[in-house]
Amino acid sequence: MKNIAVFGYNRLSFEAISRLDKELYQITVIDHDPIKAALARENGFETANIDFRSDDDLKLIGIGAHIDTLFCFFDTDSENVFLTLSARALDKELNIVAIVDSPESAEKLIAAGANKIIDPYEICGRKIHDMLKRPDINDIFDHTVFGRHDLHLAEVTIPENSYLENAHVAQLHLSSQYNLILIGIVNKQVSEQLHFVVEEFDRRLSVGDILVILGPSREIRAFKKDVENEFCKI
Amino acid sequence: MLAKLIVYCAYYLKSADWYRKAKLFFYDLLENSHSRKKKYFDATMIGLLILSVIFLIYDIEHEDSKMGGYFELAILMVFIVEYCLRGWIYSDTYKVIIEEYEKALYLNLDFNLLGVFRKAFVRDMEYITSPFAIIDILAILPSYRPLAILRIFIIFRLFKLFRYSNSAKLFADALASKRFELMTLLIFTCFLVFIASVSIYMFEYQATNSGIHNLFDAFYWTIVTLATVGFGDITPQTTGGRWVTIFLILASLGVLSFFTSILIAAFSEKMLSVRETRTYAELDRYDNFIIICGFGRVGQEIARHLHNDRQKFLIIDRVPARIELAKKRGYLAIESDASNNEVLINAGICRGASAILCITGDDVINVYVTLTSRHLNKNLRIISRANRHDNVNKLYQAGADNVIRPFEIAGLLAAEFVGQPVAFEAISGILHNQTETVMESVLVSEKSPLDNQQIGQLDLQQRKLTLLGVISDNPIHLKHKNKYQVKQQHFYFNPEVDFILRHGDMLVLLGRKYGIDHFRDQVEQRRLFSRKPK
Repeated sequence: MKNIAVFGYNRLSFEAISRLDKELYQITVIDHDPIKAALARENGFETANIDFRSDDDLKLIGIGAHIDTLFCFFDTDSENVFLTLSARALDKELNIVAIVDSPESAEKLIAAGANKIIDPYEICGRKIHDMLKRPDINDIFDHTVFGRHDLHLAEVTIPENSYLENAHVAQLHLSSQYNLILIGIVNKQVSEQLHFVVEEFDRRLSVGDILVILGPSREIRAFKKDVENEFCKI
Repeated sequence: MLAKLIVYCAYYLKSADWYRKAKLFFYDLLENSHSRKKKYFDATMIGLLILSVIFLIYDIEHEDSKMGGYFELAILMVFIVEYCLRGWIYSDTYKVIIEEYEKALYLNLDFNLLGVFRKAFVRDMEYITSPFAIIDILAILPSYRPLAILRIFIIFRLFKLFRYSNSAKLFADALASKRFELMTLLIFTCFLVFIASVSIYMFEYQATNSGIHNLFDAFYWTIVTLATVGFGDITPQTTGGRWVTIFLILASLGVLSFFTSILIAAFSEKMLSVRETRTYAELDRYDNFIIICGFGRVGQEIARHLHNDRQKFLIIDRVPARIELAKKRGYLAIESDASNNEVLINAGICRGASAILCITGDDVINVYVTLTSRHLNKNLRIISRANRHDNVNKLYQAGADNVIRPFEIAGLLAAEFVGQPVAFEAISGILHNQTETVMESVLVSEKSPLDNQQIGQLDLQQRKLTLLGVISDNPIHLKHKNKYQVKQQHFYFNPEVDFILRHGDMLVLLGRKYGIDHFRDQVEQRRLFSRKPK
């Protein structure tokens, strides 16, 4: 179970929270506007009434302790920067996701210690551009990966003693064995960069590598289970 | 009998294809401001005019130049033909005849040929007395040599230049818009001139060495002084005359500055609409452009991408600051209200636009613009932005093809990022072309070597391409599993090796951009070479 603190209750945070699996995530919503906080409670979310300007209050809800991820979804950039800065000081490992309103604030948020910046307008602009340029591919993704159909992206980390350790990428045959498509591999020890599988057929997998796969959820579960099972053989 | 023949001719012309085509051709050439032919024609005519004036001036100095004579004759013929053609396309006489004839037939009256001619004549007079037609005639007249006095009309030939460029019309329009102010100023100036002329005349008439001997001298001096020219050929000699001069100079400064400010105001107001017209004129040259309504953050982002793609687009926004920003970035932009039918029509929604994006921050405007656009053009692609969830259906009802919700997408990405950061970065990298690896579709066209081929035979692995799936609306594939409904088509994810491709299918490939391009090129080449000669 992961703990997420969501600061700022608005359309964006509502969408984000609704997308998260309630069984995997413990979510707390914080908003300094009592009306919005009440609305969040009405929608069935756990809320906390604290002042984000005070470090003691932040500690009180568990930042620096059990909170793993922080969403800074306030409407104004200055508040998000302040919150990011305070939270980063309390917890070096915290995963901070912040939204940005004006593009010049993005750098400030990164400097304040945010892990991921989300610019809704930029994303929307890119998305519309995609709709114009590549309508087919855009439709597929909207209906499958981001939509209701059962086709998902997943990442699978290769654990120790897995049968995949030292296996060649070319030996995997995920598409015939599992009905999955392997898109790429990330070697965390070397870099965060994703290596697309098409160029890495002769590569040997090692422990800690992350496989990015695409497929139906049942197949993903089956594959994950097999990867962790050390007695499974190719 | 004659009447019958004329009516017959009129009906013949009405049904004659060549006649209609010829008329359309000359309309495009002479009057249709959207046509490219007219632009070339206008440029040629301007060139001819300038040449003809040069020859006429040359003629004044060199009495018997033969070359100039022939050239003049040729130009004259062109002018006369142009004049007649313009008269021809100005009205459709055969339509008048048919209308009158049918009216007479319906009312059981005699067909009155004289009445028809009178009507046609009135129409022709309308053309002949129109300002431009008069200028045309005046441009033809100076060539009539026996009447040397007509040479003075050479200047009118230069007026003809105005016909071929919009600048004169612009100047006149600007002045006309300030009619009231100019009139006030003119009346004031007249009083001033009158008072000053009479006063200086009274003071200076009897003075010794005075240059003013009659009222015209006084008037001449007043105008020269009023215009701040002051030649100095006539100077006031008496104290009274000098006081008048001081008074006139001070007053004339006011008049001139007032006049200048009126002109400047008129032109700066006019410039806005001129720029707009220029924007529209530039759009005329393009097909397949995109109209962006709203240049907020989303609009700016799209414009940036489209600009990189060298895709033509037009921005419409009501906020002057945003339009200024757009222009600074070199985009075509109009400061206007997109919910106005006229604005959209001028922007080319029915002519060259392929898509319209309604992406303002206000859902009310987005719905309204969507509705207007759909009403104006049934086949246009409309993408609209819904800022509130409840408005998505309204936008679809209004006729949008796609509705996008910025906050939903951003929220979705935030959620994806928390769950699977690596996969998320990977897919967003591919989707947004940030990596060298891209996802693209390749169409299986008719007679393509891919047609009727099994997926296993494509040898995609050798080409370093990954096949994600096939998009198809062909019912023959429905037996395969892993299909996902996407609009009217199906997406077959991870198809088996024995999946047989049919024409119309689309392969969704993942690979390097040039890898996919190379594959597409090879397929196309093989298709062309395998085509059997008929």
